[in-house]
Amino acid sequence: MAATKHPPHNASRTKPESAGKRLLREHKEVAVRSWRRLWLSPLANLLTWLTLAIAITLPASLLLLLSQAQHLGQQLNQEHQMSVFLVPHATLEQGQLLSQEILARPDIANVTYISAAQALASFKTNSGLADILGSLTDNPLPATLLIAPENTAQTPQAMSQLTQQLRQLTLVDQVLVNMAWLDRLHAILAASQRVTYSLAFLLALGVLLVVGNTVRLQIESRKQEILVIKLVGGTDAYLRRPFLYAGFWAGLFAALLAWIIIQLGVSYLHEPLLQLAQSYQSPWQLQGLGWVGSLMLLATSCSLSLLGASLAVGRQLRLIEPQ
Amino acid sequence: MIEFQQVSKSYHDKHALVSANFHLQRGDMAFLTGHSGAGKSTLLKLIMLMERPTSGKVIVDRQDLSQLSRTQVPAHRRKIGLVFQNHQLLLDYSVFDNVALPLKISGYNERDSSRRVRAALDKVGLLDKEKLSPSVLSSGEQQRIGIARAIVNKPKLILADEPTGNLDPALSAEVMRLFQQFNQVGVSVLIASHDLNLIQRLPHPVIQLNQGQLSGPFAMAGH
Ligand SMILES: Nc1ncnc2c1ncn2[C@@H]1O[C@H](COP(=O)(O)OP(=O)(O)OP(=O)(O)O)[C@@H](O)[C@H]1O
Ligand SMILES: [Mg+2]
Repeated sequence: MAATKHPPHNASRTKPESAGKRLLREHKEVAVRSWRRLWLSPLANLLTWLTLAIAITLPASLLLLLSQAQHLGQQLNQEHQMSVFLVPHATLEQGQLLSQEILARPDIANVTYISAAQALASFKTNSGLADILGSLTDNPLPATLLIAPENTAQTPQAMSQLTQQLRQLTLVDQVLVNMAWLDRLHAILAASQRVTYSLAFLLALGVLLVVGNTVRLQIESRKQEILVIKLVGGTDAYLRRPFLYAGFWAGLFAALLAWIIIQLGVSYLHEPLLQLAQSYQSPWQLQGLGWVGSLMLLATSCSLSLLGASLAVGRQLRLIEPQ
Repeated sequence: MIEFQQVSKSYHDKHALVSANFHLQRGDMAFLTGHSGAGKSTLLKLIMLMERPTSGKVIVDRQDLSQLSRTQVPAHRRKIGLVFQNHQLLLDYSVFDNVALPLKISGYNERDSSRRVRAALDKVGLLDKEKLSPSVLSSGEQQRIGIARAIVNKPKLILADEPTGNLDPALSAEVMRLFQQFNQVGVSVLIASHDLNLIQRLPHPVIQLNQGQLSGPFAMAGH
């Protein structure tokens, strides 16, 4: 018999993969398979994603509003912050002279002089009380200096020092610092920030629980499969993978839905907030989530869901042991 | 291949296995028999590390199983092909995917995997059923699919718990012939079975279990 040479056993096999390549291929397979599994029960999944999306939308939109309200606060800071009312008998020349003196100070950025007549005219047009005011013989309004301190002089101490010094001037009747409402705005913002952070913390916990529970139910429904895989020697890492991917997909879809809800909300609120800002002569307008905001939303949602899934999956898989 | 040294297993007050000693050599095939509740499944579970012994030492393939931690259990199980009485096939997987499962968890790529699955299905004579769901197969066919899954990874050791429990005598004999074929190519085989009629006609040693006590040719005197 002619001795045919047998090829070595391995010749018919493909080249051995490197460990990294194999892991990559396995991950790709699981990702695809868990993606397909999503569409086996699309409605149930959609409801879960919506639940997650709402839980994410609330704190995310509050954070968005807050960060932009802080912008608004900063912008308003640069507006005139002091109104100095002159004594009634101060003449036009005296007022203008005073205004130049004050402007010469190193801690003052800008001074606008508004004469008593100008003040009355603008009050008449803006208040709608022209008739009543017209019947007055005397102008009840004083001349006013609107003073904007330099940015460096805007600390509370510097401001109160400046106020003291201005009050001592003979021509000055009253000094009004428009700081009070700014302080209030900052206090409100600080309080809202804490409320938002607490809410974000609670709702993040909610996301963990929702994803954890969903994964727990998925594991429960695939118990038989898990038992058999454990018996033929599947590792924990192998068993965990499809559920982690399920968690990741849930986070991804929740982020997409939340993004849509937030952008819709922003376009809904844009118009009335724009008008509000314009009534304060502010160029401020509500912006949607930019690139950075969107990516942060995506990353937060995905990592929260992944965390929720991995917490649940570790615990739950240990409970299923072949008997 | 398998060595039990003074192995006992108790569930609460129930002694399922008492001071069992035996040694199954590499390449041997043996039967494990005994009345219901004698401890056959318990003995197999100890080998699979589905249970840990209350006392004594189990050695499989020169590895003392008590040394294995939880994370090392999967690798141990991959060395063993396990056949169940109730086949344990996944009904939402195709026949092909059921058999491919042990390969998939070992990270075989598609090509190597399907080659091996087809070879295993061919060996049990069910190559033409690969696309079906196991639920439409007869119990004999399901049992053979279970066997194909157990051998697809070319294990050194096959354990079977009542592999012929649901089968008629002709099918049972056929399944036993399959195990003998694997044994002939060097695989060690241990089969738990009630079926004394069948066992006695085959030329393999029989380990007797009675109330958790071992007797028969493999049993070594307890100390
Ligand atoms: N998880 C458990 N908890 C309590 N007792 C158990 C457990 N598993 C087995 N037993 C007991 O241990 C004894 C041996 O059980 P085992 O399943 O090994 O018997 P068996 O020989 O396989 O019986 P059968 O032929 O009916 O399958 C039985 O009395 C059983 O009730
Ligand atoms: Mg049993």
